[in-house]
Amino acid sequence: MMVRERMRQKIKDPSPKKIAAATALALVAATAVLLVAILPAEYGLDPLGTGKSLGLLALAKVRPITPQPEEYRLDSVELEVNPSEWVEYSYRLEDSGSMLFSWQATGPVHYNFHSQPDGSPPGYAESFDQQETDQAHGTYAAPFSGIHGWYWENRGATEITITLTTAGFYSRARESRDRISGFHELTDPRGNVIKDLNP
Amino acid sequence: MSAKQWIVLGAALISLEFVFLVPSVVAHPMERRDAGFVEFVQGPAPAPFMYLGAKHMVSGYDHLLFLVGVIFFLYRFKDVVLYVSLFTLGHSLTLLMGVIGGIGANPYAIDAIIGLSVVYKGFENIGGFNRMNFRPNTKLAVLVFGFFHGFGLATKLQEFTLSKDGLVANILSFNIGVEIGQILALTVVLIMLSYWRTHSSFLHNAFRTNTALMAGGFILAGHQLVGYVLYS
Repeated sequence: MMVRERMRQKIKDPSPKKIAAATALALVAATAVLLVAILPAEYGLDPLGTGKSLGLLALAKVRPITPQPEEYRLDSVELEVNPSEWVEYSYRLEDSGSMLFSWQATGPVHYNFHSQPDGSPPGYAESFDQQETDQAHGTYAAPFSGIHGWYWENRGATEITITLTTAGFYSRARESRDRISGFHELTDPRGNVIKDLNP
Repeated sequence: MSAKQWIVLGAALISLEFVFLVPSVVAHPMERRDAGFVEFVQGPAPAPFMYLGAKHMVSGYDHLLFLVGVIFFLYRFKDVVLYVSLFTLGHSLTLLMGVIGGIGANPYAIDAIIGLSVVYKGFENIGGFNRMNFRPNTKLAVLVFGFFHGFGLATKLQEFTLSKDGLVANILSFNIGVEIGQILALTVVLIMLSYWRTHSSFLHNAFRTNTALMAGGFILAGHQLVGYVLYS
């Protein structure tokens, strides 16, 4: 303590006036920074107009809307999966493209949601969810451009039907099974089949 | 303080937390909320929680400014350890009690008080209290402000989904992460301060530096107070 006190002794001399001035200066400087920059940027408050003139107000805006270049598409499909068989159903989505989905199965089914980024080596996929259940609902925003979808596997002894319904900004839907695969037709938001999908 | 004494102190603190706080886990189950990656975590996840704790401390300039104020005039390593231990004791207690007991406070109010703790330390360092003939017990003050900092941490942690499964392990991990982050940050601050102290500019600029510290504290407090008025 002695060392500490002795060292402080050297700066302990400031007069009450100087201390009051320093405290006032700190308060004024803090208020200025708050009014000029922090309040506009953090809360969208602009008491001095600096938020507008410096463009800081833009930082305070919440942007819950992500505009998309084209209208979304609808898809609804029933997939039958025999015991010890699998089916894969995936969509082509560009980076940050999103979709809503719901699927239900007539029995518990093992599934895995995964995505293959464009340009990745064949067989490469990033898995985002994996479990055994009979339904799932959610939203998905593609973290990169590529093919995104489900893999369901029937590990039970009876046939299972999976009903999948989605709406999203995808351009193609593809169903794959052990020996066959093919594209599915999609509809526009008004329910009309889109004719000119080029796979 | 030797490494062995450090370990004993750390172990003592952690066991103290267990003795006082573990029984309350059963009595006050956490409300389940959604947020962040911890949404998917069931059971203990020590590394992610430690990481979050350390990250919060290292990137939390409010805690860092306060610590700079606390150790600014502490020249002896023993004093640094003493004051930092008091701060650790204070924030660990309220962090664990806050999260395990599910006690939430208004984050803006807590963060405003944390901002004022920085102002307090800066004011003390420019000799403000000496001139007012009012000498608060500096050790007690660090402990009490430690309580508020811990309560702030507890409020932040409760923004994550906290599964009851592994709750104690996860909060302890978070707490250990906070201490790791604090040691990392303190090491950097101490190295810089020690180096600066070898120059005469240190004492010449001590007054100005602590005035700046006060300004920083006022900014933190003002930012949070406006948030409190707007959103509470």
